[in-house]
Amino acid sequence: MEMISFESVKTGTVLPPVVHTVNQETFWKNAVASFDYNPVHNDPEWVKTAMPFKIPKTVGHGMMTMSFMTSVVTNWAVPAMLRIRKITSKFTKPVEQEWTITCTGVISEKHYITTGKNFVVIDVKAENQNKELVALEQVEVVFPD
Amino acid sequence: MKENKLPTYHHELAKYFKTEKHHQFSTNFFTHAENYEVWDEIDFSNLEEVDGENTFTIKAEDLTFYAEGCLDDNPYMTNEEFAKKSSYGGLVPHPLFTTTICFWCVGTKGKGNWIRTPGARNPGQYIEYYEDFKVGETIHIKLRPYDRYEKRGKYYLQYKINLYNQDNVLKASTISTLILPRTRDDIRRFLEGIRGLQD
Repeated sequence: MEMISFESVKTGTVLPPVVHTVNQETFWKNAVASFDYNPVHNDPEWVKTAMPFKIPKTVGHGMMTMSFMTSVVTNWAVPAMLRIRKITSKFTKPVEQEWTITCTGVISEKHYITTGKNFVVIDVKAENQNKELVALEQVEVVFPD
Repeated sequence: MKENKLPTYHHELAKYFKTEKHHQFSTNFFTHAENYEVWDEIDFSNLEEVDGENTFTIKAEDLTFYAEGCLDDNPYMTNEEFAKKSSYGGLVPHPLFTTTICFWCVGTKGKGNWIRTPGARNPGQYIEYYEDFKVGETIHIKLRPYDRYEKRGKYYLQYKINLYNQDNVLKASTISTLILPRTRDDIRRFLEGIRGLQD
């Protein structure tokens, strides 16, 4: 356990990135993990004509990308016993097979409330290998001290 | 919950089945899809909460597989022995494990089944957490319509979903949002493999 005090945290601090290259196997495994069996993620034949995203191929689950982004925060917060209180996400581009998704997070806000209720906001973004934005997320993390 | 008619890619999905629930949950989102709730038919005059179709009793394998499924190797989430020895005293759920619970609990025939709609798109989500989910808890959900709106030619539907444990302690709350086919005919088009969105 590496404890982190609210006082020691500085806005602008960049958290270590989470990087994953995804393919159809990734989408299938994520479908099994989440019980989201929507064919847009899982059925390469159906999506050729149905094309919900206007492209004839499967795309990753938004919740998969959101999970990747959230892992940037949990990698930092969970070992330190900090509590995630709120997550807001927005998806800007569907994630395609063979893309490499890089998720980065920065501590953007520090809220001084009172002991046990102080919290920070972490801005996380996910980009593909061409630096195109695929998703954004804001996570509130509460400090127990 | 399982259906006999399986999509052709089921066998690919089945390679990843690891938990008891994986074998119980149907991979076929086309089943009952003609009867899923539809954007233009949702009754917003009745905002009363209703119960989800199923309850979810959390096992360690559910938590560890969710982390694996989103490629997270955090030992607090994937290594039960390690987690037990930590200050948490047990596995820590990945925050997005709420997704698994919601899909399980919503079911196929009750309110909220529109989250399974073939062709639906995810624009972003909102989740609040009050307590970590723990192994052994049995989670049930209560849900109600929250908002329905049109924006840039897309049709958004939102439900508020509250997740409670067996003691009715509120563990988490989400506002689930999807961009949906607007009409039942649009859904039917998607079921036939034809694009059923106007934008």
